Amino acid sequence: MNDTVFVLSAASALVAGTPILLAALGEIIAERSGVMNLGVEGMMLFGAVAAFWAGVHTHSLTLALLVGGLAGTAMSMIHALLAVTLKVNQTVSGLSLVIVGSGLSAFLGNSGDTPLLQAQNGVDVERLLPRGLADLPLIGPILFGHDVVVYLTWVAVAVAAYALYRTPAGLSLRAVGEDPAAADAAGLHVVRIRYLATAIGGFGAGVGGAYLVLAVLGTWQTGMTAGAGWIAVALVILAGWRPWLALVGAYVFGALRGLGFTLQIAQVDVPSDFLTMIPFIAAYAVVILVSASPARARRVAAPAALGEPYSREER
Amino acid sequence: MIAGLVVSPRARPAMAVRFGVPLASLIVALAVGALVLLAVGSDPVEAYRTMYDASLSGSAPIERTLTYATPLILTGLAAAVAFRMRTYNIGAEGQLFAGAIAGSWVALILPADLPSPLMLVLMLGGGLVAGALWAALAAVPKAFLGTDEIITTLMLNFVALALMNYLIFGSLSFWRDPRRPVPQGKKIPDAAELPLMSGRLHAGFAIAVVAAVQLWWLLRSTTFGFRLRTIGDSHRAARYAGIGVPVATLIVMSISGGLAGLAGAIEISGVTKSLEPRALAIELGYTGIVIAAVARLNPLGVVPVAVLLAAISTSGSSLQTVGVQVEVVVLLQGLIFLAVTAGEFFVTNRISRRPTATRPAPPSAPAPASVADVDEPSAGLEPMTASPTARTAP
Amino acid sequence: MTDPRPVSLQIRDLCKSFYGVPAVDGVDFDLVGGEIHGLLGENGAGKSTLCSVLAGLYRPDSGQVVIDGQEVHLRSPDDAASHGIGMVYQHFRLVDSFTVAENIMLGNAATLGRKARRTVDERVQLIAAEYGLDVTPWAPVWQLSVGERQRVEILKQLYRGARILILDEPTAVLAAHEADRLFEALRLMVAKGHAVVLVSHKMQEILGHTDRVTVLRAGRNAGAGRTDAMTPAALAAMMFGSAAAIDPTSTSSAISSPGATVLALDRVSATGDHGRTAVDDVTLEVHRGEIVGVAGVAGNGQRELHEAIAGLRPVGSGTLVIDGTDCTNAGPKARHRAGLAYVPEDRLGTGLASGLTIEHNIALRSFDRPPHSRLGRLSPKNMRATAAGLVRAFDVRGTRDGMPVSFMSGGNLQKAILARELTEHHEVIVAAAPTRGLDIAAAETIRGHLRRERDGGRGVLLFSEDLSEVLDLSDVVLVMFKGCIVGRFAKADVDLETIGLLMTGAEAVAM
Repeated sequence: MNDTVFVLSAASALVAGTPILLAALGEIIAERSGVMNLGVEGMMLFGAVAAFWAGVHTHSLTLALLVGGLAGTAMSMIHALLAVTLKVNQTVSGLSLVIVGSGLSAFLGNSGDTPLLQAQNGVDVERLLPRGLADLPLIGPILFGHDVVVYLTWVAVAVAAYALYRTPAGLSLRAVGEDPAAADAAGLHVVRIRYLATAIGGFGAGVGGAYLVLAVLGTWQTGMTAGAGWIAVALVILAGWRPWLALVGAYVFGALRGLGFTLQIAQVDVPSDFLTMIPFIAAYAVVILVSASPARARRVAAPAALGEPYSREER
Repeated sequence: MIAGLVVSPRARPAMAVRFGVPLASLIVALAVGALVLLAVGSDPVEAYRTMYDASLSGSAPIERTLTYATPLILTGLAAAVAFRMRTYNIGAEGQLFAGAIAGSWVALILPADLPSPLMLVLMLGGGLVAGALWAALAAVPKAFLGTDEIITTLMLNFVALALMNYLIFGSLSFWRDPRRPVPQGKKIPDAAELPLMSGRLHAGFAIAVVAAVQLWWLLRSTTFGFRLRTIGDSHRAARYAGIGVPVATLIVMSISGGLAGLAGAIEISGVTKSLEPRALAIELGYTGIVIAAVARLNPLGVVPVAVLLAAISTSGSSLQTVGVQVEVVVLLQGLIFLAVTAGEFFVTNRISRRPTATRPAPPSAPAPASVADVDEPSAGLEPMTASPTARTAP
Repeated sequence: MTDPRPVSLQIRDLCKSFYGVPAVDGVDFDLVGGEIHGLLGENGAGKSTLCSVLAGLYRPDSGQVVIDGQEVHLRSPDDAASHGIGMVYQHFRLVDSFTVAENIMLGNAATLGRKARRTVDERVQLIAAEYGLDVTPWAPVWQLSVGERQRVEILKQLYRGARILILDEPTAVLAAHEADRLFEALRLMVAKGHAVVLVSHKMQEILGHTDRVTVLRAGRNAGAGRTDAMTPAALAAMMFGSAAAIDPTSTSSAISSPGATVLALDRVSATGDHGRTAVDDVTLEVHRGEIVGVAGVAGNGQRELHEAIAGLRPVGSGTLVIDGTDCTNAGPKARHRAGLAYVPEDRLGTGLASGLTIEHNIALRSFDRPPHSRLGRLSPKNMRATAAGLVRAFDVRGTRDGMPVSFMSGGNLQKAILARELTEHHEVIVAAAPTRGLDIAAAETIRGHLRRERDGGRGVLLFSEDLSEVLDLSDVVLVMFKGCIVGRFAKADVDLETIGLLMTGAEAVAM
């Protein structure tokens, strides 16, 4: 494989990995508070269709991303209501979100006077080309020359990592996910924090879906996430609930998703259906490897109260 | 929560509650669906009437609905049996594909003049085994390493779908009909087709109903069901009682995957007559999860619920005549799932008015023992509401 | 940071019920700064409920709480904290994976930058020094001993400016010399104008360390006054009513000569949840007609040891023999068949499947053989009959048809477990914390069962954090510290002081 192929595929990995990273980052925040939201796929789809609609009508990238994020948040609030307030099984609630999200997005994406199916997104995704940096050999074209969202995602990862470990807000969030009874006794509002974390999780998934439709694919297709949301959920486990590892993992999955493109350039003949399988097989294999590794003995596992509703009057 | 209201767990939800709440949830979901239809400018009454006419009035629509319900009953059972043990097999979709691939392979490779019953047994059996084996890809790591089955079963769905697409669209495989230029599956021999029971309804429906009854009996009246319920309640209590959790996981996942695989083989034998990815990849597996949830994981409940969701699905295309797009079907399924999930809270909890400042005077001073008797019990848990679903940490 | 003006707190006619049954029923309570106030009563008397109301966890159905002359409504723990109330629970509310400083900061708006963290560390050390509560701010909580954790809890409250400190059974988990240290620190606090509520059911502790005492019985006031005017007899009368029920110190251990060995552990080791060695080279024997009690501060490997004996945790090395059968590598079922009965620490979740019915739970060990099933087919009729019989025989109350056992009280849950375990074939009983959290009557019933088993010629291995219970019941006392058996005493030559020192690792004695 020559340099150009490598550079091109590495650069495309960053773009393809960004929606997964955004969704996984949001899910890390939610799960750190103890709320497991398996509905990422549904929230991404709903965020995508909402952002696409906003993009077609406003031609503003910022507004489209914002609308997508808020759409994800809106859906995540359903999960918060079910899982945090009504305390129903979080797995089932998350699954229902996936089905609602795919139904709602398919319905909205093909309704009204101008079905979105035919439209282009109408948003101009600008690329940032810092003079000089992009000309650097090898790393220049890989790391620079992407659109602003890619860099904002890096900022988001850094902020999330800093906030989780270095701020009172992060401490409170982690406490609620580790031991809600202790957090409650310390005067923290467990329910409020969990709602907030779930909302952030929904926002991440929504923006991820928005980026996917606006920048990666360019047009709306029914069911266009094609498992990206589930990859994000798997990534949260693989990354051990840590933002920086999620960044690395997301780009690896991005590279795997873009593998077909790479191999085409390299003129290696692999059936496209097998290329489709690769990220899923990889996620499957890595989840098993992680669970088999002796690292489980270390204290870097899931938040202790993940998936458990909290009720004060129950002792 | 809301001032003036008290939430307390129900020790034992009454029959009326256990059936009434899911029914009420269904009505709420249809009402919300009506609002959505109104919002996009359609007439919900007309839409629902069209759906009813297209799916449940007259013998032909009913046969079509029951035919559609057949795989849904089986995937619904697949989800119900696994969820009962809190093993979240959401891979019925992929297991169904595996069953369809294997079932059609068996039908195509066997001599076409084999007696039909033998052919059918081998074909459906092949589908069942393939579904179980596909599920084992997730069950084995789950049983021995504690690997999160939600992720693995789901990833395998995408793999199975791509594999099936490859066999028909991506290659000149054994399954593909070489005589046609358009990618299409080879037709199975006549002997491999399920006999028809009434009109267009094939015998697969009867198989599905029998499976539901069998599974219901298995869960309710056998030691296997006892084991499964114990594990579903608490892994530690099960281990304490000497119940082998890994073995039970393997068995339950095999049953679950086998049922989904059977659904795939039955679809080939009774409906598509060849491996047709487009006709099979219609989210039958995911819909099964919705069905199991609405049926509150009761195998007998799965049958009517599957018929209902099948009615909604089959009537989807008829909606276009009244200007409503097909996608409303998935939306309705989602809303039903959501409403029933929320309804679960009302099944397991009682909402009552908070006794206000004037407290009812106790009839007599309670003895210390009786105070202790009711001193803050923990909540009653059922598989669908229960909390400890945290994934196994890596 | 401490307000020199002494605080005062009054409670008037407080009521709180759970599901229609009153737990606290018209209680009055007075507290002023500068005193240690004992709150005495047996389990279920309403002490915990009263404290939970003060901590803002439960909202009272009716009644008044007045602090410094102002009526207050404590809607949340935050509310309670802002009124200067700090609660130290018996089961600590600390996040295990966080450091001491992080736990103390939790819920405070302090910043967390590296610099701010250093000032927090300094402040923590300052307060710690002021009250003699030494801890290391940067140590993770899961590494701390129980006594240290308690100090963190107290520091947390003081850091947040608590003037009223409520301690729920603080000495239940402490060794004697650690308890003395605690009381020294509490004295320093009241000397600075704080008020301390000491919740306890131990009369001696109340008499020895409080200034005033309030006694609750069955959710109501049963008496109050200056401690120095109280006698043990008067307090007992208040606690138990005129018919002073059971004297918890009476015991009838007819020194029975021990018989054959029914449980033998030889150099057994086992690994804890975090992958570290939790049980280290333990050798012990239990004979027929003998209760062997294991004393120790919680978290010194007792849990891992009894789980390893029960087969819920693999035995890493060594051998384990139950009534002559080598069970080192056997599963829970084979051990049960060999003659082991096990009363686990977690009644709900291990001993009983909480969401299932009493019939199901009674049949948990025997569902796969007649009469409860035949050829894989359950017999619900026989399961019901067995359950009904045992419910009557063991006086299990509060069961209802089809009701999950999680709705039953702790005492009845424990009776249900004993009913099952003691009815099946068994030669040795391993009981872990069998009376924890039970009221006195229920606890005494459970102890009675254990004594009867011993007198009936079976062996009993008892694990308990309650040292007085271990001493009361056991014929042989073992002391466990950091995964090892560090002391062994026959009933006759038990030396309380030495045991206390051994439990905390203060003294290493060659066995």
